[in-house]
Amino acid sequence: MLVYLYDTTFDGLLTCVYVHYYRKRADKIYPFQNYQNHILDEAVPVKTSKEKADKVHRAIQKQISRLALKHVYHCYLSNHYEKDTYILKFLELGFKLRSKVDKLHTHPMVHPVVTLANRVSFEVHRFLGLLRFQEVGQGLYAKISPDHDISLLLAEHFVDRIKNEKFIIHDNIRNKAVIYNGKSWVISDFNFPGTLPISEKELLFQQLWKGYFDHIAIQERVNKKLQAQFVPYRYRQNLTEFKKRYPNARH
Amino acid sequence: MKQSILDKLQILADAAKYDVSCASSGLDKRNTGNIGNSSAAGICHTWSYDGRCISLLKILMTNRCIYDCAYCISRASNDISRASFEPEEIAELTIEFYRRNYIEGLFLSSAIEVNPNHTMEKIIKTLHILRVDYQFTGYIHIKAIPGADPQLVKKAGELTDRMSVNIELPTKQSLKLLAPQKSINSLFSPMQQIKEGIKQYRYDSRHIKKVKSFVPAGQSTQMIIGATPDSDLSILHMTEKLYQRFKLKRVYFSAYVPVNKGTHLPALSTAPPLLREHRLYQADWLLRFYGFNADELLNFNQPNFDLDFDPKMMWALKNIEQFPMEINKVPYKELLRIPGIGVRSAQRIMKQRQVSMICYEDLKKMRIPLKRTRFFVTCNGRYYGEKSMEPNVIKKYLKPDPSYEQLTLYTIPQRATT
Repeated sequence: MLVYLYDTTFDGLLTCVYVHYYRKRADKIYPFQNYQNHILDEAVPVKTSKEKADKVHRAIQKQISRLALKHVYHCYLSNHYEKDTYILKFLELGFKLRSKVDKLHTHPMVHPVVTLANRVSFEVHRFLGLLRFQEVGQGLYAKISPDHDISLLLAEHFVDRIKNEKFIIHDNIRNKAVIYNGKSWVISDFNFPGTLPISEKELLFQQLWKGYFDHIAIQERVNKKLQAQFVPYRYRQNLTEFKKRYPNARH
Repeated sequence: MKQSILDKLQILADAAKYDVSCASSGLDKRNTGNIGNSSAAGICHTWSYDGRCISLLKILMTNRCIYDCAYCISRASNDISRASFEPEEIAELTIEFYRRNYIEGLFLSSAIEVNPNHTMEKIIKTLHILRVDYQFTGYIHIKAIPGADPQLVKKAGELTDRMSVNIELPTKQSLKLLAPQKSINSLFSPMQQIKEGIKQYRYDSRHIKKVKSFVPAGQSTQMIIGATPDSDLSILHMTEKLYQRFKLKRVYFSAYVPVNKGTHLPALSTAPPLLREHRLYQADWLLRFYGFNADELLNFNQPNFDLDFDPKMMWALKNIEQFPMEINKVPYKELLRIPGIGVRSAQRIMKQRQVSMICYEDLKKMRIPLKRTRFFVTCNGRYYGEKSMEPNVIKKYLKPDPSYEQLTLYTIPQRATT
């Protein structure tokens, strides 16, 4: 089987799609970091070309639809091992059927892409709420550990919301961060192994929040299973209200 | 003794938690001030131990109350810790919580400390500090205090996004029994005023370039479930009336948690009727998004919902002659009436029908619960249910499993009670 490998960027993936049509049909696409070698595979690394990627980008928008482009991009951000192959199959069908493809929700070539894209969108929505800033010096710092690579999609919302603050949203798993200086934002590689210098004032507000959080629950209605559906345990490590360092915690 | 902010916060959160509304939805707003925006879908920030979402900082201005409503934890005759916040304290707390992304906005309510006008003025002062001094453009929901001057309600409406008046009890009789100091008219008149204010604002904003907003995210209310013997039918009728007459955005239901002793109240050991509350919410959705009306769901012979089956299922079983429906043919409105098919699934079906036939496997991929739905649909003419379409037969298949219990080896002899 012919496998194309790309450099994990979205442009790289789109270049693979270009090469797939103009050189040789591939069976699968993987980012080269994740790829697990297979004895029957012939793996070919594809060099990313901005020009070719732009062509494919435009083609998807014009010949299929903007919605399809959104689905493809969100699917690309997911953490599924086969996501790139799904995208390839989806685009193959899309270039044949044009915008009809958006309506074929349950088609075997469409369904995986739309499902993964929805999963990513859902996580983005979740993290608009499940993200906690801490005041560190002059700015705000938030650490997140999402399943999918969503930090880019979070940026716009927070830049609008707290536009006069400086902040960093740090994706702990992928070691990257959205950094905003009060005027413009960038996304870059980021690593911060040390402990944060937290002020007394910050600690006070964390305690207030924790106190509020414990008291707003109605004891007669406690339902931790329901709570776990909404705030899965894997997200709780970075949430102030679930940290156990406060001695007076009720639960 | 001087109370710390933390003590006050906890006391007043404890007093505010029986208000269920926590929605931050209904309004898309960019940040035009210094801090804060809001999104129409609403954003939940966390979920407390009871599984309810926390989106707004839900808090009372004070829990010192002159009223003595039987059901309320803050009633005047209760011996509980009392506290009050100053407007500045609440404003600072809101901003500091907001910039740390703990909350989506503020939900400010209050007990009535001196008189309704005094309370309303304090609430307005808080909003003024937030909106003008801090330039906060995030979501704010406040209570309109029944009995407050219409001028004050108008002023508050210009600063807030959502306003609510809780009617708490669905009939005049129950109100008389449990909250004799409130009358149904004193509750309806601010609602009417807010409704007209919103209407005026909508009209003005279409014709005048710059106009002061008035409760742009609409108004809501809340009713207590299970404190009085009112039937589901009367609650649902009231709900429908509120939607039609006052154009409410939401009616919330709150399963009554017995906090007080009283001759007209359920005993303290009564568990809150959570399942009943859930059924009412399901019915509420049917009213708002599925085109049902209250009389279709309940009637005088059957004034309460079945706890084993959801309201739509009960409706379908009562009207079984309308089924099965052909998934590939029936119009959108009919699709919504099939048990197991919601708005999202119905839209998906409509979309896909434009380009291809829908078969049974497709329904599964659309995440429609076939366990229920299969009894009510055909796909390309084929029926996937059991042989009989008798409601009793279908009920047998769908009845929830009985809850299991651990048996003991030895039976404990029951003590005779005489």
